[in-house]
Amino acid sequence: MRSWGARIAIYLLVLAVGGGVAYVNEPFWVQLLIGILISVILSLAWDILSRTGQVSLGSAAFFGIGAYATGLLAPETGTMLAWIGAIVICAAVAVLLGFLTLRLRKMYFAIATLGLTLSLQVCVLLFSDWTGGSGGMMPPLLMDGDPQWQLVAITGFVLLAVVLSDYFLSSRVRPALFMLRTNPGLAAASGVPVVRTRVLVFTVSGILAGIAGACYGGLYGYVVPTDVFTLNWSVLPLAIVILGGMDTTLGPLLGAFLLRALEEVARYYIGGVGYQVVYGAVIILFVLLMPGGIVGLIRGLRAEVAA
Amino acid sequence: MSEMEIIAQTVLLSLTVAALYAAVASGLTLEFGVTRIVNFAHGEFVMLGAFTTYFLYTKFGVPPLIGMIVAALAMGALSYLVFRGFLCRVIKQDEHNQILATLGLSILLLNLAIIWWSPDARSMNAPQLLPTLRFGGITIPGNNVLLLVVGGLLYAALSAFMNLTRYGVQLRLASDDPELAVYSGIDVDSMFALSFVIGGMTAGLAGGLVAETLYVQPSIGVDFVVRAFAIVALGGLGSIPGALLGAALLSEAEGLTSTFAPHGGSWGYGVAFLALVIVLLIRPTGLFGREMRS
Repeated sequence: MRSWGARIAIYLLVLAVGGGVAYVNEPFWVQLLIGILISVILSLAWDILSRTGQVSLGSAAFFGIGAYATGLLAPETGTMLAWIGAIVICAAVAVLLGFLTLRLRKMYFAIATLGLTLSLQVCVLLFSDWTGGSGGMMPPLLMDGDPQWQLVAITGFVLLAVVLSDYFLSSRVRPALFMLRTNPGLAAASGVPVVRTRVLVFTVSGILAGIAGACYGGLYGYVVPTDVFTLNWSVLPLAIVILGGMDTTLGPLLGAFLLRALEEVARYYIGGVGYQVVYGAVIILFVLLMPGGIVGLIRGLRAEVAA
Repeated sequence: MSEMEIIAQTVLLSLTVAALYAAVASGLTLEFGVTRIVNFAHGEFVMLGAFTTYFLYTKFGVPPLIGMIVAALAMGALSYLVFRGFLCRVIKQDEHNQILATLGLSILLLNLAIIWWSPDARSMNAPQLLPTLRFGGITIPGNNVLLLVVGGLLYAALSAFMNLTRYGVQLRLASDDPELAVYSGIDVDSMFALSFVIGGMTAGLAGGLVAETLYVQPSIGVDFVVRAFAIVALGGLGSIPGALLGAALLSEAEGLTSTFAPHGGSWGYGVAFLALVIVLLIRPTGLFGREMRS
């Protein structure tokens, strides 16, 4: 585990970047950073879950639930309670699914979570009286729609995700999670509460992804199902985490910025559709050549320098 | 049409669709059975096969049946290259990385197709290759008969290959027990590559069927592979007969809900996953799956 100094440096960096851009309040950079930070939250949620060996394709499901739950609850309860309600709903869905998918091995887990995303899109269309169907719905605006304060709020959520991620990497928890990934039987024999740990991690991950979705819905106060319950939101965290480095907190942070930069380059050369070709290229190249991502590269370089 | 005839027609039409689903799923399940890699890019090979058949017909006037065969061969070759150049390097790695590698490939191919050919759907407008069948009030369009015939032939060929030829037996041994296969002098690496070649060929052929009977679009790969996942999980990953049965179950469930359930048309693959979740809850390795070795 990194030292406290390094951890606090990351917290301060997040605060400085988020706060700095919010303070200068240049609309272009504010919007850009908001987009990146939402993907950071989603990626940290994915990475935390993957540390127990569960490759999830369900990020989009929780992302969508977050956006839709705030939208469904807000007219009844007001914004604040709607957000709390949405978090509770994400947690409840995650606990339920955590138990249901407990016995599923890796590929089956990936397939089941992929199915969850697609099924939810169908559900939104089926219960259109309630969800607005393909016409979409209106989640409450985050911070009354003021981009400057939206950025501040989202920076706060990123900080929450970063702290949670660090907790799951702390020397107390980390060995249990990685043992669950490499050898669940050994984990159980060593006294790791397998069921409780898996469900807890799944729930934390689901809540974070839900918060990311609620933030996204709250940006403009309008979402359609094809906007949130789409596989893009399941694939994005994969590409970011691989690029930045798995099993780290810094990795998803760096990866989100770098992937966004690559995306913009691709958009410049390719145009509107198809820019996600960089997601695929990034995943393939990094899995093949640099499985540790950028953070892995930095660590390798440092080890070489030290040696 | 009477109520009975509507039901009979729905069941029969769904059965022809099952042949197409089974063609896609059997390749996926074979690749998995032998290599233990879940090929998320399998659907993109179906899509590329569809585009091959489409362009051969529209640009060069190649008859669709020949186009399908060319597509199958081309996808077999492409699968071989992808396996030798890329996937064989992750085969020894963590399952984690294997899932990510094939997902990355899927995203890459899908978006390349979108860049090259635009995301829009196009239709081949080819004449039906087989005559429409009518019994009483029931009509089965020629294209559906084609699905049944080609899908059936493919399945028969695949079963014969797996059960009657030397390579098929070796493939099955490599799938059942790779360690024993190595000790028996079987070149397991070649078997891995072979399973991808066959998987690619079935995907290419299925893509040709899709181009002839439905429409061609970059996103069809995702549509089909998602269903294929549900099918192979229903039937048990690695089991080719399981894939056939899973395909029949799924297409019947889809056909009947879209005809009879309220708002049935918008269910789509929602049905597939409802069925999948229920089965996985009862049997985590699918209906006919064996206990997975680690």
